[in-house]
Amino acid sequence: MGNTASTRVAVTEALLELAEKDPGIVLICSDSLLVVKAQPFIEKYPDRFIDVGIAEQNAVGCAAGLASCGLKPFYVTYAGFITMRACEQVRTFVAYPGLNVKMIGANGGMGAGEREGVTHQFFEDLGILRTFPGMTIVVPADASNVKQAVKAVANMEGPAYIRIGSGRDPVLPDPGEPFKLGEARILRNRGNDLALFANGFILPRVLAAADRLDRLGIKTMVVEVHTLKPLDRNTLLKVLKKTKAAVTVEDHNIIGALGSAMAELIAEEFPVPLVRVGLQDVFPRSGESEALLDHYHLGVADIVQAAQTVLRKKGKI
Amino acid sequence: MKQNTVEKLENTARLLRRDVLEMIFHAGDGHPGPSLSVADIVTALYFETLRIKPADPDWPERDRFILSKGHACPVLYAALARLGFFPQTELAGLRSLSSMLQGHPDMNKTPGIDTTSGSLGNGVSIGLGMALAARMKNLDYSVFVVTGDGELEEGVVWEALMAAVKYRVGNLIVIIDNNGMQSGGSLGSISGLEPIMPKLKAFGWHCQEIDGHDFPEILHAVNEALSKKQQPSIVLAHTVKGQGVPFMIGDNSWHKRVPTEEELRVALQALGGGE
Repeated sequence: MGNTASTRVAVTEALLELAEKDPGIVLICSDSLLVVKAQPFIEKYPDRFIDVGIAEQNAVGCAAGLASCGLKPFYVTYAGFITMRACEQVRTFVAYPGLNVKMIGANGGMGAGEREGVTHQFFEDLGILRTFPGMTIVVPADASNVKQAVKAVANMEGPAYIRIGSGRDPVLPDPGEPFKLGEARILRNRGNDLALFANGFILPRVLAAADRLDRLGIKTMVVEVHTLKPLDRNTLLKVLKKTKAAVTVEDHNIIGALGSAMAELIAEEFPVPLVRVGLQDVFPRSGESEALLDHYHLGVADIVQAAQTVLRKKGKI
Repeated sequence: MKQNTVEKLENTARLLRRDVLEMIFHAGDGHPGPSLSVADIVTALYFETLRIKPADPDWPERDRFILSKGHACPVLYAALARLGFFPQTELAGLRSLSSMLQGHPDMNKTPGIDTTSGSLGNGVSIGLGMALAARMKNLDYSVFVVTGDGELEEGVVWEALMAAVKYRVGNLIVIIDNNGMQSGGSLGSISGLEPIMPKLKAFGWHCQEIDGHDFPEILHAVNEALSKKQQPSIVLAHTVKGQGVPFMIGDNSWHKRVPTEEELRVALQALGGGE
């Protein structure tokens, strides 16, 4: 589906740029240096690279220790090994003391884990982290946005998590406004029949669905909620008040992340019909990324169908 | 070592033990046994070894102290109060809603606490990060981690032991409060951890074994550890859970138990008078 660019390489590129200006930047890996092709960083900054071996809990604790002494550690490995294997270390020793540890999780989503199978497909990371107070969570759409996100979290105080992909990640066409941490971004504004809220590498499919809906005479807004936490409630509520109908689309279990966050916001602040598109609380299989997304009901047709369902609920069709 | 120094430390440890029992009695909650076993180690470090400034708890060049066995924090709080990090009147508030003294150490709420702790097994990892930070920032502080023995059952401890040797962090010193007991009983009855020392040696740390209630031995071991600049050090300190209070020794119910008024009176009498 269209062009691809590596969100993983984008991390190393961003860190190289950051490290040049900021001597506090440290890269921590748990035998995960190849995940982000970190060799250029290691060659340039050997003293600012730590590899603790296949030991994620230790990596997070070590990052906490570095951050408590004023450094800015970035810990990179697979999403699930940060958020599940080292979950308690992230919660108790990073989030609770509010330490300046930045975590970058690869293979975020079923599609990004693709052929590896469930052990390396991570569709719970965002939901888990969202329950930790003070955690900033970013789900960028593509490599260029990952680069901007890495720089943005480096310039904020406190813990943050960025979700990245497989390295074969679709490029978001025409994002319009630049990435701004904490602000939802309206990617398409064709009308007020309904809003499609989405984030991550699924966005090209959402845009394709919006085009198809357009041809069917259904006018949508597409809103990219790249910062899942803190949620940009103001922008999201403004959109909801215009469209009075919402579909969420995410490569994550239907429980815990964007769909849940929107359901909470909608239920408490402005009740309108909502349909959530995502992995329907099942463990997926190995497979090619695009085929997997289609198989597990994250296809363009599924998004179109969800839009039609929500419009029926709205009483529009 | 000067006899005077040892006597002073012994007296300070006695006062800290009294503080611990009074704190737990007033709080109606807490862990007396583990606090008493580690009291002499905490005393030796805070009142003789650590390079710290109580008036400037965030001084970047200070030595770091991590109480990985965070449940023993009453003795740490007592030490910090007596050093002037915060008023001693705070001790009475232990574990209460408005207090700066949390049930387990919180680096943001209590002056002098370098690391949030209480979830067992994590102190060595955090200490490793702090030790590496000294190298990166070209500072010469040391990092002291005090762990329990039971918490060595956590896998993350051994992850950190491996990495510390790889990075040759000579400024990282781990002292194990080896009282032989854990929450549910003796180490031998709960886990397959023992023997401990051969495992530590096999991981490549500089290892010493001492009596954790003997001040000259504690300080000698710490000084030797500090002299090892290219190798992290472990001190396996043999201690007694409940040390100083005869009726708590050998009775593991004092792992977490509140003394009655009468028990407190008897315990304080055993420890000897106050100031």
